[in-house]
Amino acid sequence: MMLARVADSLYWLGRYIERAEHLSRLSSVMLNATLDQTDSGVQAVWIALSAVGEPDMSSAVGSFEAAEALVLDRTDPNSVVSSLALARENARQVRDQITTETWERLNLLYLKVTDPDAAREFAEGSTTFLHDVIADLHLFKGAADTTMSHGESWRFMMLGMYLERAQLVSRLLEVCFAETPGRQINDHIALVSLLRMACALEPYLRVYTAEIEPRHILEFLVFDEDFPRSIRFSTSQIEANLSALARRAEAGERAGPERIAGRLKARLQYADIQELESQGAGALLTTVVNECARIHEAIYETFVAYPLETRLPA
Amino acid sequence: MDEGVAAKNQDITETPTLPMTEAAYLPGVAYDEMFAADGGVRSHYDPLHMRMSTLGGEELAGRQRTLEKSFLLQGITFTVYGAGNSTERIIPTDLFPRILPANEWARIESGLTQRLKALNLFLADIYGEQQILMDGVVPRELVLGAPSYRREMQHLFVPHKSYANVCGSDLIRCQDGEFAVLEDNLRVPSGVSYMLANRDAAKRTFPGTYRAAGVRPVERYPDLLLATLKSMSPEWRPNPQVVVLTPGVYNSAYYEHAYLARLMGVPLVEGRDLVVHDNMVYMRTTTGIRRVDVIYRRVDDDFIDPLTFRRDSSLGAAGLFNAYRAGNVVICNAPGTGVADDKAVYAFVPEIIKYYLGEDAILPNIETFLCREPAQLNHVLANLDKLVVKAVGASGGYGMLVGPHATQKEREDFAVAIKADPENYIAQPTIQLSTAPCLVDGRIEPRHVDLRPFILSGEKTIVTPGALTRVALKRGSLVVNSSQGGGSKDTWVLAEDGPAQPHGQPNGSSRP
Repeated sequence: MMLARVADSLYWLGRYIERAEHLSRLSSVMLNATLDQTDSGVQAVWIALSAVGEPDMSSAVGSFEAAEALVLDRTDPNSVVSSLALARENARQVRDQITTETWERLNLLYLKVTDPDAAREFAEGSTTFLHDVIADLHLFKGAADTTMSHGESWRFMMLGMYLERAQLVSRLLEVCFAETPGRQINDHIALVSLLRMACALEPYLRVYTAEIEPRHILEFLVFDEDFPRSIRFSTSQIEANLSALARRAEAGERAGPERIAGRLKARLQYADIQELESQGAGALLTTVVNECARIHEAIYETFVAYPLETRLPA
Repeated sequence: MDEGVAAKNQDITETPTLPMTEAAYLPGVAYDEMFAADGGVRSHYDPLHMRMSTLGGEELAGRQRTLEKSFLLQGITFTVYGAGNSTERIIPTDLFPRILPANEWARIESGLTQRLKALNLFLADIYGEQQILMDGVVPRELVLGAPSYRREMQHLFVPHKSYANVCGSDLIRCQDGEFAVLEDNLRVPSGVSYMLANRDAAKRTFPGTYRAAGVRPVERYPDLLLATLKSMSPEWRPNPQVVVLTPGVYNSAYYEHAYLARLMGVPLVEGRDLVVHDNMVYMRTTTGIRRVDVIYRRVDDDFIDPLTFRRDSSLGAAGLFNAYRAGNVVICNAPGTGVADDKAVYAFVPEIIKYYLGEDAILPNIETFLCREPAQLNHVLANLDKLVVKAVGASGGYGMLVGPHATQKEREDFAVAIKADPENYIAQPTIQLSTAPCLVDGRIEPRHVDLRPFILSGEKTIVTPGALTRVALKRGSLVVNSSQGGGSKDTWVLAEDGPAQPHGQPNGSSRP
């Protein structure tokens, strides 16, 4: 049993944490790629900025400034600092539901990125800065995992995290493999950058060795069963968390979101790379993004903003 | 600080010096918690004094920084909103605990228990038969005319006659070393989370001294609070659902609301989480709505129910008060308790204690002049430079004139305001609050302090053996409110006193 408002905050806490980590990684990989004065660097920058919806930003302001804005711009609601501020705001609203250990990790990170010296630190060593932010987010997840009860609060947080992750990875793949067929990415270094953006390089190498092929990347990031950032893994987590939550709901209640999530999970479980190639990756990736949006709505209708009339005692 | 006295103290051959400070510690005219008037260290402060003398200034500053960092990390902060951006500040916290010997505490404990018992009986009476008004002990218009008197509460059943379940009284120690009550807080007193956080910090800062001193624990407060709240629920609800009602995350005491909810293990709700249906209160959960039995509300009377009190409030729940009237939910503290901590009613508390309990007040009041009485008004106007004048309806250090520290112009302006609305003002002599050692800019200096213990009252009355000591951080300032630049420090209540106790009070009371 938990308050509907609290579930909402925990769900968004999960989403913002995941978003902050993803954006930090995009910026970090992008800045690294630009160190090489080659076309691959330009491609990597284009991938990262397209994935956040601003493909022309680097030509307008330069890639360092673009990365800085992505990380530290407080006026942009989608920057790392804004995501962390929103995550913390949500955590503060449910301070009684998360453990002190978990809260302290997030609060510490928030104080670090909002420090007046943050911009200077970022300018002096952006790689170190972003590395530390990502490491702190991992500490947050670790603290949450090892100190919080894996009950309802935890499930809502995980739900937000995996929904956000499925959407972010789909978006990244859409940019590379679906939207502009004319601009197929084939460059080795750009593809490595893509794997790094999905935090997938080392696990990928273990499966496919150093043969970096677009086809394998797509297969790995969409269908791999064990890699925690693949779309298949994320959707199966979404489904698992939703079924666990639905079991707690009152009997006789027909909960919507776990049905949508189950269907999406099955879709990814039984599809394969041949099918994906014959139909084009775009269709499946768009389905994933749309179904995630539907699950989001269904979560609201079932757990958070349900009509009161249906729940009043007879 | 009084210059003359400071100079005199230096003449004493054995001036107490603390090696790590550049200047000697110079108590003023006020009673000092650590040093007796002859310059000797009070025996219950001995261990701390010894520890303070062995730590260097750099080391103390380091510990102070660690302390502040841990408060920031835990999020024990309030937000200061400025132009464009907002910054988080911690409530200033002082390193050195304030120590109270067991015999003094025993007297405070019995005095507070007596006082809260009498005030709860008073509330039950004025919302019931009004016998005390019939007997003319307290002026009728003073009670019934007070804005904090809620007619809606008349003849409403309150379990155990416990109207004020959580009370935080402000005590001060006067120049003669005796404690007196400055104010009773029966509405939504706050600060208890600082008491607990300060204790946590003090244990880390002075572990050895803490262990050696034999300090009574305060850590049971959350479970005693929960037991008190549960005791307010009717017997036929065997496992009552308790919730904490907060105005929300932007309230300055939000940290405390979340803290108490977390430590009691109960939901922290906002008004929008509550639904009233058929005079029952429910909260919206992920699995439907769930009945609520006891609401520990941290929202003022005015805002708890737009249908009964302020209509523009969105902090409460519509219909909550009717559910309370119907006996389906308990609101703690009860609405309307504010009338008993009214600054004018305060003057009558000793008579109220005598009237209901037939006892003399164990803890005295501060002498109070009511401007509503013409004779007392004239006295106040003639002595504005010596008195502290307070508006009856105001709190938090606002609407207040500290005569000796005010300018001629301020006093004249205040005189006009008093004459225009004498019923709204009371005056008290300027009390030199006692001082305690504080670390200020790397030096140990005396600062004025008060004492806010917390009393719980449900089926039983319990005084937590500890308190929030509030500190006026500005040199010489007598205003300790956090809204006026006050800080706080931990308060150690000793379990037993050592054999040599030169400043003893008779230990004649027992714990309830």
